Amino acid sequence: MSLIKGMFIGIWNFLKKIWDDKQGRTGLIIAAFLALVAIFAPLLTPYDPYDVAMRDDKGLSPSLEHILGTSITTGQDIFSMLIYGTRVSLSVGLITGLAIAFLGTALGVAAGYIGGIVDMVLMRIVDVMIVIPTLPLTILITNIFGKSYVVIVLVFVLFGWTGLARTVRSQVLQIKNTDYVKAAELSGGSKGYIMLHHIMPAVSHLVVISTALTCAGIMIAEAGLSFLGLGNPTAISWGKMLADAQSGGSMLFGQWWTIIAPGIGIFLSVFSFMRIGLAIEGILNPRMKKSGDARKLWKHMNHRYLDEVLRSMEDTV
Amino acid sequence: MSKIYVIKRILYTVLVFFIVVTLCFFIPRMGVDDPCARYYPAQGNMSDESYETIKELTRQQYGLDGSTWSQYTRYINNLIHGDLGTSYRAGSPKVMDLIADRLPWTLVLSVSSMVLCFFFGVIIGTHCAVKRGGWQDRALMNASTITTAVPSFFIALLLTFFLGFQWEIFPAYTDQNLVSSFDWSLESMGAVAYNAALPVLSTMLGGIISNAQSVRNSVISAARENFAVTAKAKGITNRGVLYKHVLRNALLPIVTGLGMSLSGLIGGSVVIEQIFNWHGMGTLYLEANNTNDYPLMMGIMILISAFALAANLITDLCYGLLDPRVTLGEKV
Repeated sequence: MSLIKGMFIGIWNFLKKIWDDKQGRTGLIIAAFLALVAIFAPLLTPYDPYDVAMRDDKGLSPSLEHILGTSITTGQDIFSMLIYGTRVSLSVGLITGLAIAFLGTALGVAAGYIGGIVDMVLMRIVDVMIVIPTLPLTILITNIFGKSYVVIVLVFVLFGWTGLARTVRSQVLQIKNTDYVKAAELSGGSKGYIMLHHIMPAVSHLVVISTALTCAGIMIAEAGLSFLGLGNPTAISWGKMLADAQSGGSMLFGQWWTIIAPGIGIFLSVFSFMRIGLAIEGILNPRMKKSGDARKLWKHMNHRYLDEVLRSMEDTV
Repeated sequence: MSKIYVIKRILYTVLVFFIVVTLCFFIPRMGVDDPCARYYPAQGNMSDESYETIKELTRQQYGLDGSTWSQYTRYINNLIHGDLGTSYRAGSPKVMDLIADRLPWTLVLSVSSMVLCFFFGVIIGTHCAVKRGGWQDRALMNASTITTAVPSFFIALLLTFFLGFQWEIFPAYTDQNLVSSFDWSLESMGAVAYNAALPVLSTMLGGIISNAQSVRNSVISAARENFAVTAKAKGITNRGVLYKHVLRNALLPIVTGLGMSLSGLIGGSVVIEQIFNWHGMGTLYLEANNTNDYPLMMGIMILISAFALAANLITDLCYGLLDPRVTLGEKV
């Protein structure tokens, strides 16, 4: 019990530190706002966003009844869709980010600390996975196993842990030879105990930073995949709203709000996680405050999706 | 750099490529039950034997006859002879020919975008580094925090809307006759540039800002080095120090990064090409996806992986050439 209590206190203190950082506070406020919107979406929406058959008012302009008008393809209320889109973006981003953090850390620590055959096998797998282009692979796998967010998250996790694992591994290789680890080994600590209590805390800062930034990157990737029509066909997501607006020709009719609204949604969610990531970096790594790792990581992130994000993490250590 | 290192490195690359090819071959075969049953659903008025015959013929036509293993050896054998197989499209074109048709068009977009990103990134970044702390610098900082959070396809849609539909400066969709009527004349090259303007611009904007940011950081840290101070102490003007000494050193890591991103060039940006209906690799891949054209999808993935591997290999060998301490154990 005390362990869980301690964990909560630790998380609380950490959040407080982020709150004290100017960048981090912006990020936290936006992220908390989006989380609340996602949780209470049914209470906030004036219309049922899935309601495609009831109305034949397609492509309406903003009015008091429909704050952001209705979509041009099916006549859904855009404001309601915007609110529901938060759910997909946040859940896909968070679940994938956390899963990658877990898998990447576990395998990275194992490869670095145990070494030998484990290390060799894992690193050879990484070498292969890093070469395969992620976006085409995701498209191929959704083609085979069906279009759904479950498949997308699985692909992201299965092929996304490699970068973090590499980074963690090289950090572990340095820590492995420090005095306190040697002392723990000499006093008879088992490998599992040392990995859990001595190695993990030492790499945790890397994991936390990369998780925040991976979440942001995954959100962009999710929007891109939904835009290409590879997400759940029935789900409502910002990327799909953009695709509908584009294919329905609402730009042709000058309905700029149909593009701006989901775009701002994507921007806010990615922006908040990015801010939080940068703030964490400043807290845990004060020397790097200016022009640090996170910016370097982020540099590659924008256009080339996940694999580039994770590949660029190599540079950080 | 020893010969053994080079040989080991090359052999290792070939091995990884072989594994990638194997994965690309088996992944499409994991989920599909029976491609021929998919292609020819069973008809009511057909006897089982004739249905089997039809399926067998279809398999032979598309190279799916025999066991998976014999298909695999055949595929590898063809690949060694430079043949990526045959597409399922009407007319059964070779995958290689389809890619060769599309690749130049993707390169038009990606190469020009990369060159422009580099060019403007260096100019803006150097300028901001010189005016460090000034409004230009702060503007760049703020711009970079915003553009990194905006996906490029959203920028593309905004540009399409304003420059394409509202103000009608550039075409919002690529002209469909662009490809068929292309004939190396100045006029048609101009048409290509005119049509490529929006796709290039939308991939470029974010790239320029992030490039400028890293050039700025790199220039600032290079200006603190001793050689810059020495040059200044020798009495060289600020401008001379900047262009002759600082910039040269500051651009080294940027150029290295450029080399690393070379492998992204041939894949193209799937989403951007899709938005502008550009006749490139990205749209080819999406077309293949929509028609379940697995040989084509495999071919494109293998090609991109091969390119990435080759780029990695060349980078590593160059490092080895420049820094003899690099050995296989450290750098792979």
